[in-house]
Amino acid sequence: MSMKSMTRLTTGLAVAGIVSALALPAAADGKFDGVTLRVATFGGSWKESLDATITPKFEALGGKIEYVTGSPQANLAKLIAGRGRAPFDVMEILDAQVPDFAATDFLAKIDLSKVPNTKYLADFQYNDMMVASWNTQETICYDKDKFAELGVARPTTYSDLAIPALEGRISIPDITSGGGLANFGGFAYAAGGDEVNVEPGIELIKSLKALKFWSRGGETITQFGSGDIYAAVVHAGWCVRAKNAGYPVTSVHPVINDKIKGVAKEGWLGVMKSSEHKEAAVWFINEYVGSDFQYRAATKNGVMPVNQEVIARLGEDPVLSEMLELDPAMIAKALRVDYSKVDTSDWIDQWNRMVSTQ
Amino acid sequence: MTVRWDLLLIPSFLFTFILLSVSQTLFLEGSFYKDLGLGRTGDTLDLVNYVRVFTDGFYLTTLWITVKVSALATICTLVFSFPVAYVIARMRSSWGMILLSGIVVSTFITIVIKVFGIIIIFSADGWLNQFLMSTGITTEPYSIIGTQEGVVIGLMYFTLGFGVLTLYSVVQTIPTSLEEAAEIHGASRPRMFRRVILPLAMPGLVAGGLMVFNMCMGAFTSAALLGGGKVFTLPVLIQRTIMMEVKYSMAGTLAAVLLVAVILINVLSIILIRRMHFARGVLA
Repeated sequence: MSMKSMTRLTTGLAVAGIVSALALPAAADGKFDGVTLRVATFGGSWKESLDATITPKFEALGGKIEYVTGSPQANLAKLIAGRGRAPFDVMEILDAQVPDFAATDFLAKIDLSKVPNTKYLADFQYNDMMVASWNTQETICYDKDKFAELGVARPTTYSDLAIPALEGRISIPDITSGGGLANFGGFAYAAGGDEVNVEPGIELIKSLKALKFWSRGGETITQFGSGDIYAAVVHAGWCVRAKNAGYPVTSVHPVINDKIKGVAKEGWLGVMKSSEHKEAAVWFINEYVGSDFQYRAATKNGVMPVNQEVIARLGEDPVLSEMLELDPAMIAKALRVDYSKVDTSDWIDQWNRMVSTQ
Repeated sequence: MTVRWDLLLIPSFLFTFILLSVSQTLFLEGSFYKDLGLGRTGDTLDLVNYVRVFTDGFYLTTLWITVKVSALATICTLVFSFPVAYVIARMRSSWGMILLSGIVVSTFITIVIKVFGIIIIFSADGWLNQFLMSTGITTEPYSIIGTQEGVVIGLMYFTLGFGVLTLYSVVQTIPTSLEEAAEIHGASRPRMFRRVILPLAMPGLVAGGLMVFNMCMGAFTSAALLGGGKVFTLPVLIQRTIMMEVKYSMAGTLAAVLLVAVILINVLSIILIRRMHFARGVLA
């Protein structure tokens, strides 16, 4: 072998070695090769945020994520219809559904040692069945220009919306929507009722003479755009999105009573017992509560993160600091409906009767 | 050797029968059990759901609203589609086929898009409200969202194309020679319509009307989107009962009530029309 050939061979081997060395971490990280993780979550910009932050990381590990988009209520219905055999591995759970999951056997235990990002959460935000994923701050989102044009003052309570100028110009969440139960509880408390006595809340809702009871928050953005509504009871995230879409809106955290201001709703994540990819599902939950997704979801979707490190950063964002309540003392004052006291079926029944008599 | 073409019907019949009967039987059977929450049902036969539906004003009102908006939408569909069907059926130029094709194509558009089109047209800043307000016809924007009128418009839009196509084939069966004969004998157009076209088209109108009515009774999208959560029809209530409350038995009961109501209305309509037809024959 000539000297030239030896040099070529050595160079070739060196290049191959470098390439192999570079490729090694990817090969080692391919721990989810061939795994297709199915995640039951929300569609639209929420899914986009997941796609922008978590999906590429999972794909780098060799797996693929399929998002089954829909409301948690619809997903729970699928789960029940399938007697626990879920068409997904991990799902979003609303706080109102926590008692339902406690009464069933649909969730697998989560090995919290595989969710190191729980270090960013408060202790009450995780257990071995569920991990908190987001909070929403239910607000009154209103069109500042329209209110000024009509000479209507900035609302501070729900009953401030019960004026002739706003008749037929308000949108309220339908009880079957994601924020429906939380806000229904908010109305009940604001009118002097509670989880057991919602009658005063029903009267308050009637007095608002709403145009529509929305089933998807995105509808309110469309209706702000079309001039159909001037105010909506909706979580701050939709108000952020409406503002980002160019509408002159802002949000108010309604005073519920002397001690309570604002209404909070919590989201959780759980792994399905029927899942064949529990390790991947737990990995997904860890990424979900990690800083990347939490920051993206807060800034793009306007939800309140559960990740403390991200919450600390939100004050720098002018839109979020305007729309969200970031003061921990004030956050603690928000109403959190105690769903263990709620007879959901009775609430829905009362709601349906209210609607049919309007 | 005789070819048994009728045997070709068996696969499609079995396919339809199995899909329809299995799903309906499951729901119908489930309707006779009590809901225990979270999709669970009792294990003893019970009429509690039916008793509730027929004694509770809320469910009766919902049934009444469903029948009312469906009937109104059917009348509107027939009123709007018959003249269109008549004109197209009597066209001698190729425009008839072009218009008919246009109507067929319009039925391909998903109802969601159609309904959103209506929502845009009737929105506060939409061109219709801008026109009404700029001409002083109204001072406030008129909204159809969350109203029964809106649901009727949505249902009518949903069934209009079907109505035109059905009535087109009805008008085509009426010989033009009869119209010409009436015209020669001095009948005016309204009189000819009343005495010749309408009686001859009546069986087709009734059949088409019932089909449109049945479609409206089962329609979900128009009622859900234009009802704005404020107008409950039975299909909307069934969806809410399944998806939110996960009460399969009650949903099955409501579905059974809807089915029986539709069948009863159809049978009664046919009996009524036949009696009217018979009475007219006796009087004549």
